[in-house]
Amino acid sequence: MCVGLSARVVKVNQGMALVDAGGARREISAQLLDELEPGDYVMVHAGIAIAKITDEDKDETDQIMEDLL
Amino acid sequence: MDKNRQSALEIVSSYDGPKLRIMETCGTHTHEIFRLGIRRILPANLELISGPGCPVCVTPVSFIDEAVLLALEYGATICTFGDLLRVPGTSLSLAGARAQGARIRIVYAPMDAVSYAKQHPEESAVFLSVGFETTTPATCLAVRLAAADGVSNFSVLTANKAMPGAYRALKHSADLFLYPGHVHAITGTALCEEMTREGVSGVIAGFTSDEILTALAVAIVRHREGAPFFVNCYPRVVRPQGNPKAIALMNEMMDPCDSEWRGLGVIPDSGMRLKASCAAFDARKKFDLPPVRGHANPACRCGDVLRGACRPHDCPLFGKTCTPEHPVGACMVSNEGACSAWYRYAL
Repeated sequence: MCVGLSARVVKVNQGMALVDAGGARREISAQLLDELEPGDYVMVHAGIAIAKITDEDKDETDQIMEDLL
Repeated sequence: MDKNRQSALEIVSSYDGPKLRIMETCGTHTHEIFRLGIRRILPANLELISGPGCPVCVTPVSFIDEAVLLALEYGATICTFGDLLRVPGTSLSLAGARAQGARIRIVYAPMDAVSYAKQHPEESAVFLSVGFETTTPATCLAVRLAAADGVSNFSVLTANKAMPGAYRALKHSADLFLYPGHVHAITGTALCEEMTREGVSGVIAGFTSDEILTALAVAIVRHREGAPFFVNCYPRVVRPQGNPKAIALMNEMMDPCDSEWRGLGVIPDSGMRLKASCAAFDARKKFDLPPVRGHANPACRCGDVLRGACRPHDCPLFGKTCTPEHPVGACMVSNEGACSAWYRYAL
């Protein structure tokens, strides 16, 4: 139950968003995020978007490792 | 394999310092670490402990008993995440109650329970609200929606948990925490900074193999340096301020309360319950539920597993009377539970 899914925003309308997670589409609440637009990627938990995803995971881990070493 | 991934892998797999115990406090981390085979590359002196990160695993027996009571004695329709269905109560699980005629409906999200209540005005729908700061805002939104739409046949039975109390209760059970990325997507990083000032180290980790390996590598390198530290290794999702709207919503609708964690006992201010202003949607008040005291199977060692005091296979029930098909303890029920992951991937 506590699994977060990343999904691409397809449409935003009155606090709800249609998202696409690997081909599966679902309507979720977008009330807890500001300025969500189609094309944004979000993290979805229990039917709500909890955070915008702002970077590719690989770019981020590359940067962290380069800072570390 | 690219250079950074190789470096992270080498740092983790070649760790040769003093015994280092890292506690993950997220069920998805537990599951992914097993599934990705990360445990197989760990040297003997690097131990990953699966702490209380699975909401199902920390939900006490008494909560299941309350839900069964609501379903069988009060005639409520229970709307629940599927994972809770097979968690044993004192005498019955929700699946067992369903076999005795209880109405149990599986939902994906709290707001689905509000929709169910709207579609079935003749029933009284109770959503079982378990989870950490990641799922609590969804419950708050559901209650707000029900209030706005006048859905008076909807209520929630809360067992919501807040992580700060758990971190402090467990800070001596490990050398550092692998903090749960999505809890901190909501709450931000202030608590982790505060824990560092209290001498407790940790890293926030994402969930891909690269992200978990990178976070472990950062933890090892920084731990070697000696001073307490905190690093957010998941900034693409976790911002320092977290999700301000979600935090404001929880503060508006929930009060902190003492809460029982399976295996850890009652931790002060580690739970969240609906404020008095939302009493009409609080199932305990709506149904005037009596206090319920649950009794777990005394041989089950889920509590010791969650505190890192033993490994799943140290439990006498593990893999014998307790399996994913016939779970005795909560940690064997959910895919995110330590015993379930251990059974599936490590046997």
